[in-house]
Amino acid sequence: MAHAATVHPHPEHAPGQGQVGVYTQKLGMWIFLCSEVMFFTALIGSYIILRWGSVEVWPRPQSVLNIPLTAFNTFILICSSVSMVKAFAAITHGDQAGLKKWLVVTCFGGAFFVGVQAYEYWHLSHEGFVPGGFVEGSELFRRALEGHIAGATGGTIVPAAANLFGSTFYTMTGFHGFHVTCGVVCMIWVTIKAFRGGYTQTGYHGVEVVGLYWHFVDLVWIILFTIVYLF
Amino acid sequence: MAEAFERKHPNYIAVWIGLAVLTAIEVGIVYFGLTRRFLILALMLLAVWKALLVALYFMHLKFEPKRLLIIVLTPLPLALILVVFVLQEYGR
Amino acid sequence: MSTAAAPVAATHHEHHEMSFVRKYIFSTDHKIIGIQFLFLSLFFLLVGGLLAMTIRWQLGFPGRPLPMGGLFPQTMAPNGMILPEFYNALVTMHGTFMVFFAIMPLLVGVFANYLIPLKIGAPDMAFPSLNMWSFWLMIPAGALMVAGFFVEGGASAAGWTGYAPLSADQEYTGVSTGQVLWCLSLIVFALSSLLGSLNYITTVINLRAPGMTWFRMPLSVWALFITAILGLLAIPILAGALIMLMFDQTIGTHFFLSASGGQPLLWQHLFWFFGHPEVYILILPAMGITSDVIANGSRKPIFGYHSMVYAIIGIAFLGWVVWGHHMFQSGMNPRLGTTFMISTMVIAVPSAVKVFNWLGTMWKGDLHLHTPMLNAVAFVAMFIIGGLSGIFMANTPVDIYIHDTYFIVAHLHYVLFGGSLFAIFAGIYFWFPKMFGKLMNETLGKVHFWLTFVFYNLVFFPMHLLGMGGHMRRIYDPNQYEFLQPLAPMNKFVSISAFLLGLSQLPFMVNFLWSLFKGKKADINPWRDNGLEWTVPSPPPHGNFAHTPTVYHGPYEFSHPQAAEDFLPQNQPLPAAPLQPGGARQETR
Repeated sequence: MAHAATVHPHPEHAPGQGQVGVYTQKLGMWIFLCSEVMFFTALIGSYIILRWGSVEVWPRPQSVLNIPLTAFNTFILICSSVSMVKAFAAITHGDQAGLKKWLVVTCFGGAFFVGVQAYEYWHLSHEGFVPGGFVEGSELFRRALEGHIAGATGGTIVPAAANLFGSTFYTMTGFHGFHVTCGVVCMIWVTIKAFRGGYTQTGYHGVEVVGLYWHFVDLVWIILFTIVYLF
Repeated sequence: MAEAFERKHPNYIAVWIGLAVLTAIEVGIVYFGLTRRFLILALMLLAVWKALLVALYFMHLKFEPKRLLIIVLTPLPLALILVVFVLQEYGR
Repeated sequence: MSTAAAPVAATHHEHHEMSFVRKYIFSTDHKIIGIQFLFLSLFFLLVGGLLAMTIRWQLGFPGRPLPMGGLFPQTMAPNGMILPEFYNALVTMHGTFMVFFAIMPLLVGVFANYLIPLKIGAPDMAFPSLNMWSFWLMIPAGALMVAGFFVEGGASAAGWTGYAPLSADQEYTGVSTGQVLWCLSLIVFALSSLLGSLNYITTVINLRAPGMTWFRMPLSVWALFITAILGLLAIPILAGALIMLMFDQTIGTHFFLSASGGQPLLWQHLFWFFGHPEVYILILPAMGITSDVIANGSRKPIFGYHSMVYAIIGIAFLGWVVWGHHMFQSGMNPRLGTTFMISTMVIAVPSAVKVFNWLGTMWKGDLHLHTPMLNAVAFVAMFIIGGLSGIFMANTPVDIYIHDTYFIVAHLHYVLFGGSLFAIFAGIYFWFPKMFGKLMNETLGKVHFWLTFVFYNLVFFPMHLLGMGGHMRRIYDPNQYEFLQPLAPMNKFVSISAFLLGLSQLPFMVNFLWSLFKGKKADINPWRDNGLEWTVPSPPPHGNFAHTPTVYHGPYEFSHPQAAEDFLPQNQPLPAAPLQPGGARQETR
């Protein structure tokens, strides 16, 4: 055994025993998603802990945030998840046209979601709601001072109660939005590759893997929307 | 390595309708005037139901090998431990 | 259990002529990446060590100007006199560099990358390009961390544990940008680490060669695999916490600032929820390396292979529910304290199982005390001491007296230096021939080992006594307290031993660098070991194996009664007949 043969590594062709039974890229994506679960656990867990232990009455989210708009945005994100999985179904049947169509829809859905979030951030900060809470002298600060902002557990809040509300709101939704943005970038890349004929009925792993990430991002939002906007 | 089985595709439109309906219910019950405890419970249940729909059907976990499910479930008890333990810091 | 070997030669054999840059700098070959990690982390080990020497100067000779102190800026050490603020930065950065930029990359970045594909019979990692990113992200991470020394306010000074609100509000330390850089650097580091973990886990699950069942994997691979899982799940918690801390420092959030309703204790919970699995990340690979080396040096199978695997899993499992033992004195809920005390005592059990198994492996073995073996045996001995001191601090009432004293510093250095670093030395001495195709000098190796072992114990054992005497940690001037003044001679003794310990690393540095260029050529299996990496040339070619190996048995078939040699590589079948054709019967002693 001596010749230094350069063997080209082909991890996907490795035979397997004691394996999980899914191809390497999909396994890799699921393992990555496990780490993402822990990342959002840190943010969401902290939110739960800080809110549960909060001395001040927590603001009623509906008094500060735009629920109807966000509910609609949630619906759009769910739709983009559907279009993603339709794209995946299409390519497993060899339907190139369907793949392209549904991928484009997904890209738009994702971009729309990010756009609405960006608008939401702009609008809220305009009204005086920032990561640090209510900006002194702003519209929201004045209203809180005058007892016009309801508490989630009854009564009204003091302006200081918005400090943690802002910290947790912006960090959680901000990092979720960051993840969606990364997802949109990947989605565009996959769409371009699809238009170049990069996927086939037997070679669609990239579509499935990016789809898993996309659904995950949707899943996190399902949790976030409920516990941040509706609780 | 290619999977040996035929790709199963559940009815994605049915799942989509389910998700839309659950979202509408979620938003709706906020304005129902339920007691806080019941509202929280109902919202959590609805959110978990939606999350499961996405995970099981869109992410195909229902049709994947059981070993993958075990891997995927691993972070959850850890998340629970962190939150439950730290919540003990508060008297209530 | 055996499956037919699948010839890899069937795959496309591209003779791409790669440029020097693609081959050695932006390489996706796990072996090159492992070596890159080696050079980077040895550099940071040196940085961490120099920071330690500076700390020891202050503690051993307070009031005396540093040698070459004129080189330090006025903000750190005017006229060579270390300022208290700079001292805080020194202890912080020593810990930070050692944990994140030396020990972790040495154990995981080097050995996981280099060994896993070779030892499981794979051509490379599952995601070679991601692997490359994993290394190159360490460069900005390291740069950001070093940059802290050069900004106004200096480097982070809130301890490597970065407790809030000290770390969250610059009013307390006077450090502003440096603290933010610390957070940012570790966030980038977290990403690097995550990509690595992802690769290691996927590779071990999916890319094992035929016949390489789970229970035929070497313990080094098991340890690195479980470590990767710990990292995958714990490091994102750190990342989240760092982001929240950074936001507190920069954009006005209040996660950890009680003045605005935040919870400083939340930082501690988050940090240690990561931090405890982190310390197992820092020890498990060392244990794995030790197992491989001790079996080799004893020419015996590992005693209790299965229980070794279960012990690794048990340690990792339990490691998630003990984090509060770092917080016994924090003011947390006492009932939580009791829970953590119990779980921490329990975690001693699997560690003890491993210690007994190493001893059992060596018992009546044909001991070859080569340099790796010396270091591995030292690991066991030092880990016992470090583990035993851990039992003391696991007890909440005892911890009341020893928390935040030098007793803790002694414990952590016994497990991290006495433990991890000796195992790292064992690993470097052991796999250097495979990595570079050259042998390290055995005499210099032994000199390095003995000097290090002696001075290391002279530095850290007295710290147990200092701690019990009430000497607190992270203190700039212990002599300000009358009750600590009698300990000043001991501090001086420790410092002088530390300087000698530092000098003792010169034989290693000289040996390492000299052997790279002028070392004797290593043949394919200089240690007569069973791992698959010893069946390919030193260094192995790109792609590792000309044909995918088939594995027939476990990795510790030393001194097999029917074998011709006292070792049996994993890709050779177990001998069936008592006598080898034409060979002598192997005598076992």
